[in-house]
Amino acid sequence: MNAQVGRDNIVTQSLGQIGDCGLFLLRILAAVPRSMRHALETVRQLWFVGAMSLTIIMVCGLFVGMVLSLQLYHVLSIFGGTAATGTVVAIAIYRELGPVVTALLFAGRAGTSITAEIGLMRATDQIAAMELMAVDPLAYVVAPRFLAGLIAMPLLCCVFCAMGIFGGHLVGVTWLGIDNGTFWSNMTATVDVWQDIVNGVIWKSLAFGAVVSLIAVFQGFTAPPTSEGVAYATTRTVVASSIAILALDFVLTAFLM
Amino acid sequence: MSQRKSYAVGTGLFIVLGFAALAYLATQTSSVANRHQGDSYTVDAQFTNVGQLKERAPVKVAGVRIGQVQSIELEPGKPVADVKLSIDKRYASIPADSVASIFTSGLLGDQYVGIEYGHAKTFVAAGGKLALTHSSQPLEAMIGKFFGAGGVNDNIGGTYQVTANFTNIGTLSVGAPVKMAGVVIGQVAAIQADPVKLDAKVTLAIDDTFNKIPDDSSAAVFTSGLIGSQYVAIQPGGSPDNLKNGEEMILTQSAMQLEDLIGKFLVNGSPGDKPGSGSSSTPAGKH
Repeated sequence: MNAQVGRDNIVTQSLGQIGDCGLFLLRILAAVPRSMRHALETVRQLWFVGAMSLTIIMVCGLFVGMVLSLQLYHVLSIFGGTAATGTVVAIAIYRELGPVVTALLFAGRAGTSITAEIGLMRATDQIAAMELMAVDPLAYVVAPRFLAGLIAMPLLCCVFCAMGIFGGHLVGVTWLGIDNGTFWSNMTATVDVWQDIVNGVIWKSLAFGAVVSLIAVFQGFTAPPTSEGVAYATTRTVVASSIAILALDFVLTAFLM
Repeated sequence: MSQRKSYAVGTGLFIVLGFAALAYLATQTSSVANRHQGDSYTVDAQFTNVGQLKERAPVKVAGVRIGQVQSIELEPGKPVADVKLSIDKRYASIPADSVASIFTSGLLGDQYVGIEYGHAKTFVAAGGKLALTHSSQPLEAMIGKFFGAGGVNDNIGGTYQVTANFTNIGTLSVGAPVKMAGVVIGQVAAIQADPVKLDAKVTLAIDDTFNKIPDDSSAAVFTSGLIGSQYVAIQPGGSPDNLKNGEEMILTQSAMQLEDLIGKFLVNGSPGDKPGSGSSSTPAGKH
């Protein structure tokens, strides 16, 4: 009986959260025009979630490209197909690894700090103070962070992909000795601008950016105003973002391919 | 104010870096160059079968890309595909009697339209039509050609039978073609295991018109193409005497097992699997 009640609660809670999240998205979108008065705040957030995440994105992209190239070289050498290494590295990074890994890193690096910051603003009554001063916290706090995430993700993803290709080239050509011309010409011949770069990199990372930023600001904005509540909300940002990214990835792939 | 400026500059740098990365991905690692087309003109070509040809597939002359497939549509009221080729203006001098064919790049690659120049003095105009086309060859049709389409055997009148013993016939089956110089001259009439010699005794029914085959000719079990099925090939010898009904061909070459061949290529191929003849025919028997 208790289990039944508990399960009902989890189900209704989850559904309620998803519904609140959707309504919150509408409120953010409604607040976006008003947040244009605080454009500089958006730039500051872009600096914080985007530019400050560059290091981790670049290093991770480099290593993902390197390990992909290394693994593929050894598998493809069984079939004598090492010339395809560049192609497969590029397609794997553009279509899946680039957007997904960037989004996961983005959720961990930027999503959590957004949640914690907004949660603490709520806990320390800064948001209440803004409302008292007739400053709309949705337009001044939430919308700039959401927009910044939306803009930063595709840019970060492009940087990640470029670094991944560079890492793949470093291992494949410089270390394992695949011919440089073969590496590039095979890649160029197979990778398609619309299919791989626009559909893979741009649309996916835009969608992931929207989802991660929405979850981060939502969890922060609705976090219980206690230290435990903020900690819990931060955890939930990472968990919910990761699940949302991977599930959305499947759906988007099915649609875009 | 100075701090504000520093992050504004940093953010600007970040955005520029992101777009630079995007430009790099789009121009250096992808086929954006292939998409870029200057002025182009359209030429029609009609095919009875376009196979796997897709829109935006390349159009090539002598292997060099000169344009792309713009659209593929069924000609209204006719079972032919109307393919519009968008060709770069720089290559405006295609002779009117050129042949457009659908080729496959490599064994498993994508299909493209290849144009072989004719000798006409007039050129195909924009909106014109390439009248001579070669359609895509479905794999089934090609395999059918290897087998003589089976129907050839039905037309064979009188036959005479010779036998040949093989240590391994692979997946050869009754009804498989017997070929000489690649041409079907008969078919496999029966396959039996020889209880004394412990090998496979294959009876070949050969058309009576081919009764001048030297009796020292050899018979081999070959595979048509990479993945086709097997047939018996006869390589003529030099003996003055000819094969007669009921005689046996002494010189035979058994089927090569794909596993053996691949095993030879691969260093790590397991040599213990060599007697593949038994294992390839038994799985059906083992429930």
